[in-house]
Amino acid sequence: MKLIKMLLTAGCLWAGAVLADPPKGYPFVGYDAGLAAARASGKPIFMYFGRYGCAWCDHTNKKTFSDAALKKLYTENYELVYVDAESGKRLTLPSGERITEAELGVRLQAFATPLFVYLTPQGDKIVQIPGFKTVQDFRDYDRYVRGGHYKRKTLLEFLGGKS
Amino acid sequence: MRAAALLLTVLAWPAQAAWEWSAPLTVNSVRGAAIFPHLESANRRGIAVSGDTVAVVWEDNRSGRPQCYLATRPAAAANFQPEIQLSQGECYEPAVMDLGAGRFVAAWEEAGKVHARVLPGGQVLQLSKADAAQVTLARRGNALYAAWAEQAGRFRRIVVARLALKADVLSVKLAQPVEAAMPTDEQGWPALAVAADGSVTVAWEDRRSRHTVPMASHSRDGRRFAPPARLTDRRSGSVDGLGAGTGAMRPTLAAWGKQGVAAVWLDKRDFLSGYDVYAAFDPGTRRFGKNIRVQDSFGDNMAQWHALVVGDAGGRLVALWDDARDGTPDVWLSDWDGQAFGDNAAVPGAAGPGAQSDPAATLDAAGALHVVWLERDEAAGTRIRYARAARQ
Repeated sequence: MKLIKMLLTAGCLWAGAVLADPPKGYPFVGYDAGLAAARASGKPIFMYFGRYGCAWCDHTNKKTFSDAALKKLYTENYELVYVDAESGKRLTLPSGERITEAELGVRLQAFATPLFVYLTPQGDKIVQIPGFKTVQDFRDYDRYVRGGHYKRKTLLEFLGGKS
Repeated sequence: MRAAALLLTVLAWPAQAAWEWSAPLTVNSVRGAAIFPHLESANRRGIAVSGDTVAVVWEDNRSGRPQCYLATRPAAAANFQPEIQLSQGECYEPAVMDLGAGRFVAAWEEAGKVHARVLPGGQVLQLSKADAAQVTLARRGNALYAAWAEQAGRFRRIVVARLALKADVLSVKLAQPVEAAMPTDEQGWPALAVAADGSVTVAWEDRRSRHTVPMASHSRDGRRFAPPARLTDRRSGSVDGLGAGTGAMRPTLAAWGKQGVAAVWLDKRDFLSGYDVYAAFDPGTRRFGKNIRVQDSFGDNMAQWHALVVGDAGGRLVALWDDARDGTPDVWLSDWDGQAFGDNAAVPGAAGPGAQSDPAATLDAAGALHVVWLERDEAAGTRIRYARAARQ
């Protein structure tokens, strides 16, 4: 177990060294490592689909992900995955298909970055949300995902009924 | 609504009528729900025509791990012959180039290095000494070149190699980085073109400006390369202190006309509608000019993917890509008419219900267009499809 933790930690450090633009201080890892960790922990995946040099990603990182409470909420309750929208780095989908990180954008029909994707621990998509979002937005999405509301409502229905 | 559809059909008709297409054929002989073929290579060079023979290369996981395959179809054959396996180890992103008289060179990444082989016959040659990937090929007459992204310190950089061919034996005559200095950020996905004057153009993705910029360099002799210049006419820079610039990726090149080189890539300068297809031309000055958007207005609010350009010495130039403007992914093309890219036309057989994507293409010596693409079917498995088109 200690060895696994050490390997995961080493993986995080390596990933941090080569990833493009994830927010600072968050333990984002690559897709395959995040999926493996989610399967082991049972936590949902929060996937940040960003682009190297993306202004709106930068804005979201500075304005939203700098919030200490949000960082704690997402770090403790999600496996954090960062995917670089233009990278040729390879990943393996739950289906077993090997594609590049850039190709994942095709499959997600991504038209803008940042794109935030919530996945089950098995890698099935729950919801994807494009563009700049506030701290409160991410708190709402967390309640939608971890509260299991996605099984009964769309995100819009859920947000319309909040308060 | 019906009148609008009729108008669109009439407007689209001239472009569609420009090419006469054969019935599509299936290239891969093995398919299944858990087998995933990929037509993916630097410069999207997954098909070549040599003499009367068409060759297609791809990667799939039928053996339980990614392997590269090649299938050929002699003109007289009704179908593609069963594919041969090019690789032994884990293999990715194969490319193929014609050598004339029914012979080809295939290149691919295997076990972290790039390799090449003459077909039929020929032995596998390891092209790179260091770890490398994303290999592509180009030739003019007897001058054969390969380019790849090779690990140099923390990042990859672009290496161009002159290859020698004696009978079926390939060798590396000279391999050198485009820039002598160590890379300061990632470089990858090179595209190569050898113009009619023998000069070599290489384009690639480059992150030295802290975002992805397609760049290009030229060499008169394939030995010394000029300092890189941007393909894109967009400047790098932050907006209100945020970011470093818009995105662009996967440049492709084609030698074209008497002296020219054309470039096509995916460009996200309009960041709210996904990647668009952009082009630039080097008329022979060895400088690329202003950028031109390729797809027409019907593809405006839609992400384009997997773009490439093919051209020939006769001045034919065609850009292809896929997008889902009609609801599902289809393969589209646009011809350059000398002044502008024409109306977009869906490739028959690669359009309609279901997902058709990931085109690769080439023009043969007679000017016919050969296209392969993926036709996805989650239940039955993905087919690689092929069609040939001639000018009417």
